[in-house]
Amino acid sequence: MMKSFGIEFVPMELFWRTTYYTVQAERLGYDSIWITDHFNNRNVYISLAVIANYTERIRLGPGVTNPYLVHPVMTAQSVASLNEVAPGRVICGIGAGDRTTLEMVDIEMKRPLRTVREAVEIIRRQMEREKGAYNGKVFVTSSGARFNFRTGEKVPIYIGAQGPKMLQLAGAIGDGALINASHPGDIEKAIKQIEVGAEKAGRGLEDIDVAAYTSFSVADDGKSAKKAVVPVVAYIVAGSPSSILEKHDISVEKAEKLRSDLANRRWGEAFGAVDGNMIDAFSICGSPEECTEKIDALFKTGITHFVTGSPLGPNVRASINMFGTQVLPHFKED
Amino acid sequence: MVKKIPRTMRGALSEKLMDCLLETKEGSTVPASLAKTILYYWQRDRLDTQAGLTNLLHATVIADPEKAAKIMYDMGLEEISIALRQV
Repeated sequence: MMKSFGIEFVPMELFWRTTYYTVQAERLGYDSIWITDHFNNRNVYISLAVIANYTERIRLGPGVTNPYLVHPVMTAQSVASLNEVAPGRVICGIGAGDRTTLEMVDIEMKRPLRTVREAVEIIRRQMEREKGAYNGKVFVTSSGARFNFRTGEKVPIYIGAQGPKMLQLAGAIGDGALINASHPGDIEKAIKQIEVGAEKAGRGLEDIDVAAYTSFSVADDGKSAKKAVVPVVAYIVAGSPSSILEKHDISVEKAEKLRSDLANRRWGEAFGAVDGNMIDAFSICGSPEECTEKIDALFKTGITHFVTGSPLGPNVRASINMFGTQVLPHFKED
Repeated sequence: MVKKIPRTMRGALSEKLMDCLLETKEGSTVPASLAKTILYYWQRDRLDTQAGLTNLLHATVIADPEKAAKIMYDMGLEEISIALRQV
C-alpha cells in the first residue's frame, strides 16, 4: 500500500479558514482531510461540503463521528450525500466517541464494540441500499429504511481506535484503522492488535489502510513547535488511563494534578507541568528534520497513512506549508 | 486603489493580507459571500491578481483596518495606507 498523508481540522475555526487550509494542503500533496465531529464545534458535514466544493483531488470525511450522538442511518445519509458532491473522494471515520463530550449531553457510552460494529454494518447496508430489516442488539432498522437516492461509489470506513479490542474490531471489519497515538511503541502494539483482528476475520493487514492519527506540530525551530503542542499534550495526559501513563513513565500523581489544574482553569500550572517526556509520548513535534525522522520511525512500524492532527504548529498556514515542502517530499519521493 | 500597486509587489502583498485574515480575531466580520469569493480566487491560485487583491484588501479592511493600513505602509505603499486610514 502506498504511503499517504492526511490532515485533521477541528471546525472551531471559521468555515473559510478551514477551507483555505484544505486547498493549501491539497495543493501541497496531502492525500486526505479529516474533520472532527463534536456537537460543540461547527457541523462536520457542512464543513466537508464546503471543502468539497473548493477541492478536486483530496479525500475527505469525518474523523471521527460516533454512533451515540449520530444514528448510523444518518451517518450513511451524510456520507452518501457528500459522495454526490465529491464522488469517489469520501472516507468515513467512526469510533466510540469522546466520553467527556458524550457525558455533557447525558449519553452513556454503552457497549462500544457492539455499537461501533453494528453502526459500520448499517452504514454499509444503507450505502448498498440493501433490502431487508437489520436486527442488531443495539440498532434495529426495518426493511423500509432504505435511501430514495443512489449512493455512488463505495465509501471506505475507517475505525478510530485506541484500546486493544477496538483495534481488533478495526482489523476485522474496517477498510482502515485510525490509531489514536503518536509514539512508535504504542503504534507498534496497536498494529499487532489490528493484525490479530484481521486474521480472526480471515483477512490480512495488507487489506487495511493503517493510519497513525497524531498530535502534530512543526516549526522552523523545535522549541516553538513544542510550545504549540503543550496544551494538546496536557489534555491527552489528563485523559489517559494510568496504564498508558505508567507505560511512558509518567507519574499518575502528576497527571492527576494536571487534570485538576485543567478542570479549574489553572492554565499556567497545567501547561507548565507538561514535560519533554510527555511531549515525546503523545505527539510528533519539532523542526521539519525532527518530524521527518519521527514519521519515518512510524512508517517502519507498518502504518500506511500518517495524519497530522491538532495543533499542526504555532502558525497553521506556515506549518502546513513547511510540512508540504520540507517533510512530505522525503516520503513521496521514496 | 489596487491598480496603483506595482505588479511586482502583488504576490508578497496577497500573502501578507491573507496572513492577516487568517490570524485576526475579527475574522467573523468578513461577510460569507466575500469569504467565498476569496476562496474562489485561492482555489484558482489567483489571489495575487488585481481582482484577487481587491477582494483580499476589502476583507482585510473590514476585519482589521489598522493592520491593513500598516501592511501597506510597511510595503512602502504610503499613499494607499493613508487612504485606508481615512476610510
